[in-house]
Amino acid sequence: MVLAIKAENLKVGFLLEEEVLWAVKGVDLAVEEGTTLCIIGESGCGKSTLASAIAGTLPPYAVTSGKLRIYDRVLINGDVRNYNGVRGRITAYIPQNPGTSLNPFMTIEDHFYYVLKSIFGINRKDSRRIAIEALSRVDLDSSILEKYPHELSGGMQQRVLIALALSTNAKILIADEPTSSIDAYLKFQVVKLIGKLQRELNKTLIVITHDLVTTSTICDDIAIMYAGRIVELGGREDIVLNPRHPYTKMLLEVSPIPGIRKPLKHISGEPPNLGVEITGCPFYERCPYRIEICKQEPQIWEIGEQHTSSCWRAREAPWL
Amino acid sequence: MAVNRGKYIIELENVIAGYIVAPPKLRSIFKTKQIVLRDINFRVGTSERVAIVGRSGSGKSTLLKVILGILKPFSGRVLIHGHDIYRLPWRRRVELLRRIGYVPQDPFKSLNPVLKVKSILKEPLEACGFKGNVDEKIRLIVKLVGLPENVVDMYPEELSGGMRQRVLIARALISEPEVLILDEPTSALDVSIQAQVVNLINEIYERLKLSIITVTHDLAIAQYVADRVVVIDNGRIVEEGSLAEILNNPRSNFMKTVISSYPKLHKLE
Amino acid sequence: MERGLIGIIQRASRKTRFKAGLALSSLILILAVVALYIVPFPQDALGYVPRNVEARRLLPPSGDFLFGTDHLGRDLFSRVIMGARTALIQVLTVTIISLLLGIIVGVTAAYFRGLIETLLNYFVEVFMPLPAVVIALVLRLALGSGIHVVILALVSTWWAWYARITYVYARGIVELDYVVLAKLVGLSNIKVISRHVVLNIIQPLVVQAITDMGGVLLEAASINFLGLGLEPGSPEWGVMLYEALFYAGGVEAVVKAPWLVVFPGLFLLLTILGFSLLGDCLREEIDPRLRRRWRLWF
Repeated sequence: MVLAIKAENLKVGFLLEEEVLWAVKGVDLAVEEGTTLCIIGESGCGKSTLASAIAGTLPPYAVTSGKLRIYDRVLINGDVRNYNGVRGRITAYIPQNPGTSLNPFMTIEDHFYYVLKSIFGINRKDSRRIAIEALSRVDLDSSILEKYPHELSGGMQQRVLIALALSTNAKILIADEPTSSIDAYLKFQVVKLIGKLQRELNKTLIVITHDLVTTSTICDDIAIMYAGRIVELGGREDIVLNPRHPYTKMLLEVSPIPGIRKPLKHISGEPPNLGVEITGCPFYERCPYRIEICKQEPQIWEIGEQHTSSCWRAREAPWL
Repeated sequence: MAVNRGKYIIELENVIAGYIVAPPKLRSIFKTKQIVLRDINFRVGTSERVAIVGRSGSGKSTLLKVILGILKPFSGRVLIHGHDIYRLPWRRRVELLRRIGYVPQDPFKSLNPVLKVKSILKEPLEACGFKGNVDEKIRLIVKLVGLPENVVDMYPEELSGGMRQRVLIARALISEPEVLILDEPTSALDVSIQAQVVNLINEIYERLKLSIITVTHDLAIAQYVADRVVVIDNGRIVEEGSLAEILNNPRSNFMKTVISSYPKLHKLE
Repeated sequence: MERGLIGIIQRASRKTRFKAGLALSSLILILAVVALYIVPFPQDALGYVPRNVEARRLLPPSGDFLFGTDHLGRDLFSRVIMGARTALIQVLTVTIISLLLGIIVGVTAAYFRGLIETLLNYFVEVFMPLPAVVIALVLRLALGSGIHVVILALVSTWWAWYARITYVYARGIVELDYVVLAKLVGLSNIKVISRHVVLNIIQPLVVQAITDMGGVLLEAASINFLGLGLEPGSPEWGVMLYEALFYAGGVEAVVKAPWLVVFPGLFLLLTILGFSLLGDCLREEIDPRLRRRWRLWF
């Protein structure tokens, strides 16, 4: 059981003017090699920041504390960050919006060439070969290489991004909201593709998303994030069939699925903005199961094997 | 007041529409017609809930522009209460178009940042020469969409995405339209707020009994806000009926592909 | 965070550049307003030659004449301070008229599109690159000397600049949903334009105008420096430089009496600097691209 990613009380914030806005407020993670973890949350919960911390794409004005390790390399230790040799080689980041992530002035082949050249220093011929192989894995033809990004559909652009990540042969793939900029019915296709690739190539996959329904089909473990913290973490069946946090339960209830016409319940209020300071349980305002003790900061309780929840009422779970 | 000449509020007859573009390589003297919508026949009656479903590029936005009087079709008729809006003088057209309340897609770009919510909501009333108690009307509509009363003194940038969406809905409803058209009401919002909007739409339907047209790419949302679904692909209407009918009996290749791409989820739940 | 203009000024005022710019501009503004009342030799300031010309001519700075005297014995200090008033009159008149004209043309072109847009844009393109100095020359021949030459020459080029900027901003706004919504609801064009378009572009336009004021002043001074605008004797910094070089006796005279050039030039420099610093800081606050890039990250 090799741990690909291990985070200990990881905090990530951004330094603006004089104060720090903490986006990730203390996260513990242990991801086994060759598994898929889905980090699920809505906007402002800090999941993209967490992904950036792992992928090495944090801006220079970021502030960190705690520890983050990839295999045996320490990436983050307190406020010191060192991604040399890891970013791009061991971890590959698949960005969110293909429209803005691909350079409109370069052909797809150029994209592969510059990426591979900067990481491995190879020449055009080899990069073309690797590109064709990577593209074929995402069901794209080599004729794509001569095209410019705007000549491809959104779905194809997304697949090019995935192929770029695959071409680096990185062991850890981080997909940031892979389904967000795609039409609803294509979401499943993309997710299926990513899942298939993960299994075939035995990669460790982290998927950042707000779409619990679609991505739960491919993941082994799920982490639910709210207001900068992981409020529930566990295996897929545990989370979906035995949710031990009211927010998880809410996410399961509000996600609509075509053909299954259950009444769409909703909870009023909105998720807090990124970095807002909250005392006590961050879900208190919106939680229909809150009690007096929830005004205090909840700890992390173990519910089952590898299943933790950060809710005072996790054990009794009145919502089940 | 326009006399209701037909039994439908909105009717599109054999509409072919698109844009006139200058092809990139030739001089712009030679402009060609780019046809986006073909043979569209579409009707909305009173108190109907309809969803227009299609992916990006299918022509949904063009269809909306045609209905809203912004894009004149190359051929065919667009009727509101039996009158072809593109053959009317501007004043009459505007009068008819007031029967439609439109909620645009992106709540973050659709509100004038220098105006308070009060002014934003007052505008449709101003435009149609409303003589009654404006403040009272605003108060009622704000309550209807579930916003707190103090929202009227705020600026758009102080509001979250979900609240801005509601302001847009309130604005569309304040002139008491007969049809409410919502353009991708859930796409820009988080999952937990999407449910709020969907439930709000249905609440409005129950209370006001107006017709609601929801344009979306998400079949799952469509099933909650519509009794009749119209599927558009490549500029043509390829399916029409209730969602159950369409899912059980798809006629078009497009729909068949869509259905096959959804996995069997009941294994998990 | 305070919104709107107050917020912008609050945030900008944390920078030293802003404080410096504000100080300089305020100083010039105050001088301009009170000049008539505080100058020690108001007659000199307005250009009248004192009776004891010979005794007073070309005196170096001293207790009586803080900046010295010019070739006609007039107190340079009074003239320079009065120059602030002329400078501001020129700049403000030109800027306000050009802004108004430019906004009207730019917004009309952006809102109504089609033929009007093409025609107006042609106009703008013709006028924008015209050199104000050449226009001033022609106007001078046609209309004789005076402040109207300066103002007309400058307005005839700056209006096009503001028209172009307004057009670009307005084009962006006109496509936005809230304008479309307002039109859909049947709001009259005038109301749509004034409420939705103009209100949203006025802020960057005003900031641009403030930054431009330095340039306008420089052009005005240049026109006067070439003798094409105000008459010699007028209290204007460009005119004073003109007089120094052409009336006082050329370059040798200036070397012997450098105060003739140093003080008007210095004030010109400081005023332009003040406006530019002010405008720069304000522009940084409102232009989202120049702002702290952390916004892009969420």
